[in-house]
Amino acid sequence: MGQGKAVILGAIFIIFSSASPLFPSQSNEDCLACHGDAELKSEAGESLFLDYEKFLASSHGRAEISCVDCHADLAKIRDYPHSSPLKPIDCSRCHEEASREFETSIHFMAPETGANPLTVSCKDCHGTHDIKGKSEYDSTIFPINLPSTCEKCHLQRVAAKKEPGFIGQYRESVHFRALKKSGLTISANCSNCHGAHDIKTVSDPLALVSRKNIIPTCGTCHVGIQRDYLDGVHGKDYVKGIKDVPVCTDCHSEHNILSPQDLNSTVYTTKVAEVCSRCHDNVTLSREYGFLTSRFKTYSQTFHGTASRYGETRVANCASCHGFHDIRPSADPKSSINSENLPATCGKCHPGASRHFAEGPVHVIPEAIAMAKYKASHLVKNIYIIVISVIISVFILFIAADLFRRMIRREKRG
Amino acid sequence: MDSSALVPDDEVFLRMNLAERVQHYLLIGTFFLLMATGLPLFFYEFKAFKWFFPTEQVFYIRGIIHRIAAVVLILNLIWHILSAALTARGQNNLKDMIPKFRDGKDAFELFWHNVGLTRLIYKTGVFKKFFEAHRYWLFEKPPLFGRYNFIEKFEYWAVGWGSVVMIISGFFMWNVELSLRFFPLWIHDVLVMIHGYEALLAFLAVIIWHMYNVHLNPEVFPMSKIWLNGKITGKELRLLHPLEYQRIVDERKRSLQP
Repeated sequence: MGQGKAVILGAIFIIFSSASPLFPSQSNEDCLACHGDAELKSEAGESLFLDYEKFLASSHGRAEISCVDCHADLAKIRDYPHSSPLKPIDCSRCHEEASREFETSIHFMAPETGANPLTVSCKDCHGTHDIKGKSEYDSTIFPINLPSTCEKCHLQRVAAKKEPGFIGQYRESVHFRALKKSGLTISANCSNCHGAHDIKTVSDPLALVSRKNIIPTCGTCHVGIQRDYLDGVHGKDYVKGIKDVPVCTDCHSEHNILSPQDLNSTVYTTKVAEVCSRCHDNVTLSREYGFLTSRFKTYSQTFHGTASRYGETRVANCASCHGFHDIRPSADPKSSINSENLPATCGKCHPGASRHFAEGPVHVIPEAIAMAKYKASHLVKNIYIIVISVIISVFILFIAADLFRRMIRREKRG
Repeated sequence: MDSSALVPDDEVFLRMNLAERVQHYLLIGTFFLLMATGLPLFFYEFKAFKWFFPTEQVFYIRGIIHRIAAVVLILNLIWHILSAALTARGQNNLKDMIPKFRDGKDAFELFWHNVGLTRLIYKTGVFKKFFEAHRYWLFEKPPLFGRYNFIEKFEYWAVGWGSVVMIISGFFMWNVELSLRFFPLWIHDVLVMIHGYEALLAFLAVIIWHMYNVHLNPEVFPMSKIWLNGKITGKELRLLHPLEYQRIVDERKRSLQP
């Protein structure tokens, strides 16, 4: 027997020692000898039972991955009961790419507070022995089930940086309704917007939901709207990297995005003006970017604005005239408020709107210009104020004089 | 013959006939509805008015009510104009309603009589000679009123003028497309402005002036009942409308003479 034979025999021995029953490492049956017992409990009273049927139905079970492939530290064990606790399972041995992504995520990184190390690991989202892929109905990451999976921590344990209940608002949203009610798995769930393994906080510029990335994130599904937005005045500034420019979430809100037809939507017709005026009535922003404020005020003074305040939905809001995703400045010939297009824009509600509709700015003018443009109506207003004051003062004087005389007469009589 | 024998204090005269009273009721009703459904839009910044129109449907109905009330007001006005133009009673009332120079003088005299400032000055002895030569400036007696005094004439013509203004401006607000086909935008803006401020003026005038004169004035408090039964007594005529009273007395005297 030469040296070569000895090497081969040695190799065979090593291979067999890890796989063959002759040189036993644990088989699943070995494990189940104990863990198949539904009554098996640890000293602390925790159930140590493994539902083998469930395991076999899982992705790993079907791929015939054995217990010790994951519980690698038990592969060589000979004494029973084996010691515990077991080492955490290292999924990266097989799931290399997912692991690499995970290591960049907020779930992996230590929390900024440092109070306790973040303990989110693969199994917290994916489950353990019954782990399944995302296309399986009873998987923890099946799109319809995913919100519940994230909510296990994020509803209670992890405080949202925004107002309380911020995360739970998702359940009210049109996205969740589509998911749950209509079963549209293409509707946005948590991971569609936030990412999965590489999930990051909103303040991280690399996050899918950061101001920089939110447009393409929403645009993943809302492609046509992304196109319109990028065509409009907001989108043009967004491309330039101006941070104050409104992105999707500024108008539509975040978790509780609702259809514009929904009364509670931030872009419900009577609430649009409020949303726009958050920026367009902001003096700081108006100075920085050179637009005019008091738009909300001047809109409110029109019948449109007044009626809208009282809940009338058939009057024009900002978007009715200005458009929404592709808002353009009036100088743009494609703009709905370009003076050439105004009769058509007004005509949407006022059939047969004449060119007179387009004669002057309807609102959005600073007081000084308004005075000049609206000389006539301002004059009328001021005349009325004077006339009313004078007439009412005269009334009150007459009444006072009358009462005074009656008082004196009564005194004389009495 | 004594005038109180000719016109006893308890004799009842008709001041407002049924048609006039109905016109007045319609005016009250439409005025109230128009104000309730219109003024909140003028004071759009006043949050409490949101109560008025809690929902979109209510706001929609508001517009309908406002327009119905406007149409009724217009019909009522037409009825009044026709009866004033075509009936003998209407023509007589209208004649009595025509503002005269005297009404301005009445207002002036009543005010200074009530204030009594010149009498106070006279008592202190200042300008004694002037006041003795021109006793008129002492305003010792309040002016005597006819069938309609300056207050009533003012209110009547104010309602007439106000209605016309509100109807014209309101019509073009109702038909904004039509309005802007005829007028440039600034005229339409002026019409909207007028509609709001004229309404405010009317509202204040009614609340302050009319309510004082027919309700709160101690003379009639708690309320003059003429608008309900249309009746006025000889005594009330003698005290409140002495010239009208005198006219009736004179008429009867003449008819007694052979």
